[in-house]
Amino acid sequence: MAGIELLSDQGYRLDGRKATELRKVQARMGVFGQADGSAYLEQGNTKVLAVVYGPHEVRGARSKILYDRAVINCQYSMATFSTAERKRRPHGDRKSSEMSLHLKQTFEAAVLTQLYPRSQIDIYVKILQADGGNYSACVNAATLAVIDAGIPMRDYVCACTAGFVDDTPLADLCHAEESGGGTSLAVALLPRGGQIALLQMDARLHQDHLDTLMEAAMTACKGVSKVLDEVVRQHLQEMSILTGE
Amino acid sequence: MQTACQAAQHSRGRRLYNRLRSLLKDPRHDCIHFANEFQQYSYCPREKGETQEKWQTRCIYHAAVWYHDHLAGLRPVVMITEDQEAVAEFGSSASGIYVISTQEYLQSFWPDLLAAHELYSSICQALQERESESTEREYAEHFPAEVLEAGIKSGRFIQGTLNVNKHRAQHEAFVRFEGSTTKNSELNSDVLVCGGKNRNRAVHGDLVAVELLPAKEWRGRNTALHEGLGEDKAGEEPQSKPMPTGKVVGIVQRNWRDYVVTFPPREEVQSQSRNSQRILVTPWDYRIPKIRISTQQAEALQDHRVIVRLDLWESTSLYPNGHTVRVLGKSGELETEVQTILVENCINVPPFSEAQLRQLPESSAEQPWRVEPEEVSSRLDLRDTHLVFSIDPLGCEDVDDTLSVRLLPGGTRLELGVHIADVTHFVQEGSLTDLEARSRATTYYLADRRYDMLPGVLSADLCSLLGGVDRYAMSVMWQLDAQSLAVCKVWYGRTLIRSSYQLHYELAQSLLNGEQAEVPELDRLDDEAERCRRRAELLQALRLLTRVARHLRAQRDQGGALELEGVEVRAQLDSSKNITALVPRQPLEVHETVAECMIYANHWVARKIQENFPHQALLRHHPPPRQEFFNQLIDSARTRSFAINTRSNKALADSLDQAVDQRDPVVNRLLRMMATQAMSNALYFSTGACSEEQYYHYGLALDRYTHFTSPIRRYADIIVHRLLMAAINAERGLAPSKVLASNKDLEELAHQVNNRNRASQHAQKQSTELFQCLYFKDKDPLTDERCVADAVIYAIRANGMLVFIPRYGLRGPVYVKNRENQVVSVEGDGSCEWKAGALERQVDRISTTTSTGTHNFSIFDHITVRISVQPSRCHPLNLCLEVISSRPHQAPVAEAQPKGRGRSELVQEVVRLAEEASQQAEERKGRVPKLSKEQREFRQSKQPNLYSILQEIAEMALLDLHACEAPSAEVQTCSTSA
Repeated sequence: MAGIELLSDQGYRLDGRKATELRKVQARMGVFGQADGSAYLEQGNTKVLAVVYGPHEVRGARSKILYDRAVINCQYSMATFSTAERKRRPHGDRKSSEMSLHLKQTFEAAVLTQLYPRSQIDIYVKILQADGGNYSACVNAATLAVIDAGIPMRDYVCACTAGFVDDTPLADLCHAEESGGGTSLAVALLPRGGQIALLQMDARLHQDHLDTLMEAAMTACKGVSKVLDEVVRQHLQEMSILTGE
Repeated sequence: MQTACQAAQHSRGRRLYNRLRSLLKDPRHDCIHFANEFQQYSYCPREKGETQEKWQTRCIYHAAVWYHDHLAGLRPVVMITEDQEAVAEFGSSASGIYVISTQEYLQSFWPDLLAAHELYSSICQALQERESESTEREYAEHFPAEVLEAGIKSGRFIQGTLNVNKHRAQHEAFVRFEGSTTKNSELNSDVLVCGGKNRNRAVHGDLVAVELLPAKEWRGRNTALHEGLGEDKAGEEPQSKPMPTGKVVGIVQRNWRDYVVTFPPREEVQSQSRNSQRILVTPWDYRIPKIRISTQQAEALQDHRVIVRLDLWESTSLYPNGHTVRVLGKSGELETEVQTILVENCINVPPFSEAQLRQLPESSAEQPWRVEPEEVSSRLDLRDTHLVFSIDPLGCEDVDDTLSVRLLPGGTRLELGVHIADVTHFVQEGSLTDLEARSRATTYYLADRRYDMLPGVLSADLCSLLGGVDRYAMSVMWQLDAQSLAVCKVWYGRTLIRSSYQLHYELAQSLLNGEQAEVPELDRLDDEAERCRRRAELLQALRLLTRVARHLRAQRDQGGALELEGVEVRAQLDSSKNITALVPRQPLEVHETVAECMIYANHWVARKIQENFPHQALLRHHPPPRQEFFNQLIDSARTRSFAINTRSNKALADSLDQAVDQRDPVVNRLLRMMATQAMSNALYFSTGACSEEQYYHYGLALDRYTHFTSPIRRYADIIVHRLLMAAINAERGLAPSKVLASNKDLEELAHQVNNRNRASQHAQKQSTELFQCLYFKDKDPLTDERCVADAVIYAIRANGMLVFIPRYGLRGPVYVKNRENQVVSVEGDGSCEWKAGALERQVDRISTTTSTGTHNFSIFDHITVRISVQPSRCHPLNLCLEVISSRPHQAPVAEAQPKGRGRSELVQEVVRLAEEASQQAEERKGRVPKLSKEQREFRQSKQPNLYSILQEIAEMALLDLHACEAPSAEVQTCSTSA
């Protein structure tokens, strides 16, 4: 395969990062007034908007009601202009349903759902610009939105991807690196306890390399969690100044 | 600069980019890659509407400015560009930063670097040339790469390496498949590519895609002997049965290297170069087509040999375009010819650089190198406990191996030790010396000189296990049962030794024979009693060693079905007999003794590293030969009613033993030679790349084998030493100091070493041929007795036969039909002359019928031939053999001069003549210092004085085996002692 050189001899990646370096993460919480919680997050060139409604009564079929905890409903979508090629993306296609399911599983593991029996929490995420690491950007944005909504969680859920090129694990892949055909491992982590909320890998990888790759992904997740923590504290500070407390 | 690299990758393709990358990576070039686009201060964003090139130029300029500021203006920074606008724009904007073109750069900074100037101008001209191409089509266009790839995958095209037939370079070429992935099984032979049009601009060595022609256009290969040069009338000549024939449709990968060409003399230049300065030059290698070059220097360079690089071959041009790189010298001079051989084999042996030598420990007469105390404590000290000695050819400088043997206290066990120079202690992995050695891979032995793999301070001094001094060694020591000689225990490790005796073969043999030979080390002793005691001690060790070696040999001979007679040792013996005819040297038993010990050490080390590193050990295997290669041997043997059984190596060895003609000892030698030719080469490989059955060494009849005993001469041995050390450390529980090379790296390395070995063998063979030709060149073939010799026919071709001349160890074709279609007619007294007549060829003989009668030439007949040199300006000289009598040659004077001094005398004489010639030239032109400077530059070995020549010959005697065509199976084993 005449692929591009993902890792140069000097150890630089395509966008000039070192192997363990993350992309720049910027985020804002409370971007919308109408929703209970909302957040906007940029991870490099990947831009995500996340909105949370709830907890509220279960809408639609009553059969969905769980009597011991809340139902989490996730919906993932991509904007038509999010990729290099403009394309209408109907709801409910396979890719986005899978992603929705993954998000749902992730947040069921993190949100203290048993505090809200017989209710429902809606999490909507929309990719505005896709440049690799969509899942992790969604998780990170949704975490902020859930925090913004005031829903209690065990810990931040931080997600990050990691790939493997030339025997070196690369953290936080961008689109060019993801599409190179190599391995990509996505991890969602509860950083304080080190519990893994979700782990997903599609391509083949030798067993010997799995540990180093996981290690790299988890380190990256912890890096993300620091940034998120910073954002939350900043936001709270601003809020408290505004509310005059 | 990152920008420049990416531009190269973008516009010129991956291959060039990879070459650039490997150049950058090589620490010998002192280059640094600066990622300027990732640096905050040197990055500049592309502006709107700016072209890519402009932006790149600006980027580089910014980086240069940054670098200049970074160095605080201490050094001027030069940016080279061919873009005149850039020169104008940036040229004067800042002091200390020069933006200039290549030409200016060369002129202002390196005014006296003539070679660079010439290279530059030749490249310039080649570039200009390209623009003024005509548009007529000479060849069909190649298919684009995607089509080729798809075609190869679907089986429509066949991918393989193009091999041009050396003797019919214009017409025949063969394509050998890569691997055995071809699905169509009827195509198990090579594909023939006939003629220049079908070859479609492919050059020898290229990886091409061929398309098969319809079966009715298939043709056979030509079986007639051919005189290499010239136009021939295809079609009339006898052909074998048709074979798959195809045409080249595309080139997957060019494999162009540097070629040596010869400029034509003036007359031809003038006729050719009516338009512009284009000149057609003829490559040294027959297989390469003529190359078109445009140069101003044609006048000055006529009859010179020049290195040329191919640039491209458009479909509109009959010949490829190239440019000159470096001038080697006038053709026909010894120095030029030797350089030519080196270049043609891609052997690059510059003198060792300052930086490499600086890394090495020093040792001089005033300040001899000493053993370091910390090493003494970490090594097993054998200086006082063991009697260590070496046996080598007389006058050997680089002693790789020493031996020791002793009876252990108690008397039930023997201890045999092989101690090899510990080169890896001095050559650290990754050091400059290591990199240089890796790229050389072996020491190159040519007929009159050698190019060392390691610098002299190591190869001839610190690593050489000389007598009487302390040296580091890597040892293998076996404890053997004193009676049965079975192995009880093996120990591997680093040791410290002091060799007590530095013997040579003849001396050791005469000691063993009980003669009163002088041992220099003993003669220095004053005390008579002490001398006798020591002498007895040495003698006992030698006897013991011989006994052990005989046992080891017998073990290999008879140890059951798998252990068989080493064909390759046979072949060696054969070859050394072959040489004995030239250099009077008896095959002594002590040779075999030493060789046997080395084989044993190699074998045990191979076992050790293979067990420790099942996937990444470097071993050496010798694949069994293909049965069809033996056909010639079997057919030839049948004419003398010998049956040769080639089913297994043991069977082959036995049947060769029996095929002895009492009246004619040459027959057996020829048969063995043919057997050797049928063998494939022994190769290095990484154990991870082959299955375990493939480890087998056919020639030595050993299941595992490697090279361990000559780290001074071979890079593979250095690798094996490192592996062995890693294995020992792992057993002691120490963590490995460095990560071992992975299977893939090792396989690559093995491939490289194999390639280099092949190149060195070719170079050696070619240089031997060169010397033979130069030897005969000055003799008048009609009068000089030395040009007439006895020859034995060993194969029959359609219009002649191949003969072997035992006296000079030469092989070559003899024609019985000449260009005018006359055939050799034999008179009553056996003398021959050309006459009109007919020719008939059978399997085992060729018969000529003329008016005077019919004569048969059969295989193994002795005939007399006259040797002359075929003059050739552009190509290597050729020896031309001509039959002058059908009777064996009686050499009256051959006895007078020591028979067989042949080759050594030959080398000496040629060197002497060359020296005289160069001296004369010096005197005439009065430029003594210049010439000697050139000589110093081109050769590492000293000026050829008589002593060094003799020394070299002594080494050659063993190494000359390479000279037999298919290099014998395990030649190096024999030369372990060299």
